[in-house]
Amino acid sequence: MSRKLYIFAIGGTGTRVLKALTMLFASGVKTGNGFDTVIPIIIDPDTGNGDLNRTKDILRLYQEIRNQVELPDDFYAQEIRTINEITVNTPAVNPDYFQFKLKNTDTNTFNQYIGFDSLSEDISEIDDKNFVRLLYSAQNLRSNLDVGFKGNPNMGSIILNQFTNSEDFKKFGQTFGDDDAIFIVNSIFGGTGAAGFPLLLKNFRGNTNITNHIKIRVAPIGGITYLPYFSLTRNEEVNAETFEEKAKIAIDYYNRTIISLNQINTLYFIGNRGNTNQEEYAVGGQEQRNKAHFLEMAGALAILDFCKNINSVPQTTQIKEFGIEHDTQNISFTDLNIENAKQLSAPLTKFHLYTEYLNKGLSRSLNTARWTKSNIKLVRGNKQSLLDRNYFNSAEYNTQIKSFNNYFEEWIKEMKENKPVFSPFEEITADNALEIVKGQTPKGDKSFKALDIQNCLLTDNISIRNKEKKHTMLIKMFGRSTDRVLSKRNLLIR
Amino acid sequence: MNEFFGTIYDSVFGIFDNLYFLIFQHLYENGGYIKLGLSFVLIPFVCWILFYYLWKYPYGKLWHWLVWMALTVLIVFGTTYGIANTEILGSDNQALNEAIADAGTGYADYAASLPLKYALANSLLALIIGFIYSLIMKQFSKIQIHLPF
Repeated sequence: MSRKLYIFAIGGTGTRVLKALTMLFASGVKTGNGFDTVIPIIIDPDTGNGDLNRTKDILRLYQEIRNQVELPDDFYAQEIRTINEITVNTPAVNPDYFQFKLKNTDTNTFNQYIGFDSLSEDISEIDDKNFVRLLYSAQNLRSNLDVGFKGNPNMGSIILNQFTNSEDFKKFGQTFGDDDAIFIVNSIFGGTGAAGFPLLLKNFRGNTNITNHIKIRVAPIGGITYLPYFSLTRNEEVNAETFEEKAKIAIDYYNRTIISLNQINTLYFIGNRGNTNQEEYAVGGQEQRNKAHFLEMAGALAILDFCKNINSVPQTTQIKEFGIEHDTQNISFTDLNIENAKQLSAPLTKFHLYTEYLNKGLSRSLNTARWTKSNIKLVRGNKQSLLDRNYFNSAEYNTQIKSFNNYFEEWIKEMKENKPVFSPFEEITADNALEIVKGQTPKGDKSFKALDIQNCLLTDNISIRNKEKKHTMLIKMFGRSTDRVLSKRNLLIR
Repeated sequence: MNEFFGTIYDSVFGIFDNLYFLIFQHLYENGGYIKLGLSFVLIPFVCWILFYYLWKYPYGKLWHWLVWMALTVLIVFGTTYGIANTEILGSDNQALNEAIADAGTGYADYAASLPLKYALANSLLALIIGFIYSLIMKQFSKIQIHLPF
């Protein structure tokens, strides 16, 4: 059964959750339940947003790497595609298609967009103008739209209304299949996400102008709504002190229009009351580049939970919350509930070991260990490694694998620097690499040697070799070797 | 096998002298050639099995292989020397012992030189056979397949 999961990631929080989900997919996490394709759709007018561009770049790299892996079964196993790729059936990677375009938001101010400026002070239009002034402050009206809605959902709800008339949305309708599902990620305390969520839902459940609207109307829809989980270093145009109040008002609205009317099958709530972490103040644009947060990864887990339970979603709205086992500000795998620990421990530890190896361990084995040699004399070609010096010097390795791994390490590092701290790993060197999991000290040699041995044992394994798809051997080899090394030492929670 | 190994030492290395026939007869009749032969066949075999299939060290370089070869040759040298010494000088062959004890026969000096000759011959053979083993065994090795080259 072939299924697609459409993930609508709205605003900055949505984008960062998508980033966390992509990292989990890269680590080998899969949606399961027949969802073979995930289609992320970012809705954010703030096209220059640092978080948005970072996530789009991560998605691009994910696709480029995955396209170069033959039948990935561990790392990068989950297929991610854009709607454009499905409609025109092309393997070409273009990260711009992950984002739905909003028209006339690049150069306009809000008053230009709604035509406020074109209303005259004439007696016939002055009432209209004053009515608009009742709904929007002068600052709202003067706002440039290219940096989002700066925490003003009353603006967002107007702009985002055009979204359903866009070409992108039409393509979404055209590609929607019988068993497909939808998931929406938004924050309730900001502007874009808070406004976009009910709007999207309303269209999914009631817009008859979308192709396949009958399928979409009855499709399983899940969503995660973020309650405040960070504050800002300054309170200016965007004021973190209003986050909680705005969240309360929005929840009340959601309760009346979404939850009570069973517009959504499963709604996840997540937040961190009394949060102490502060993000650098930015209204949007390139400067908005929030540090990755544990709660964003927890949001990604909600998506997986939704997929897992897709066959038993109730018709009435089910509310779910996320919690951890131990109330701590320094979270590691053992602080999570056992199901989440099992979901995260193996993939993240394996992928982290793999990225650390390539950073700190490769120099020792390159052109020395047989798994990095392709010029061994008097042996057949199928015993030569495809991962030789040429591969590690190739543009594909350096611009794709290394770049993605840098993003992954940055993501892990940022979660460690945020509050609550998510830090399941120890800092390692090449000599104590297997002390990677916090609180676990395996017996025996702790260096990368065990990983190199496993790589050597796997080199001539036919199932990991493919000359046409360049990254096949690296990705499949490390998927297996990290698993063997870490499992043998009981470093994974399974 | 006795014949085979005996021929190698006699014909290839010229370790035979009719004047000291008793020594070679003793070696032939008591399986001495087999012991000497097996030491250059089996010791490198075991050593290279260890190197290619049991040594789990992924960073092996040519110098590791060379050291291993030298070690193998050294073991063969020592073992051969010991075997030859025991077989010739420590034998319970009455006639041979009497010949060695009789200074006028020259047996003592010749017998004393033989362990070194056999040891050197076996070392060379171990080197050659070790290299051949190496080329064969590396084909099936998972970790040291790239050695010696």
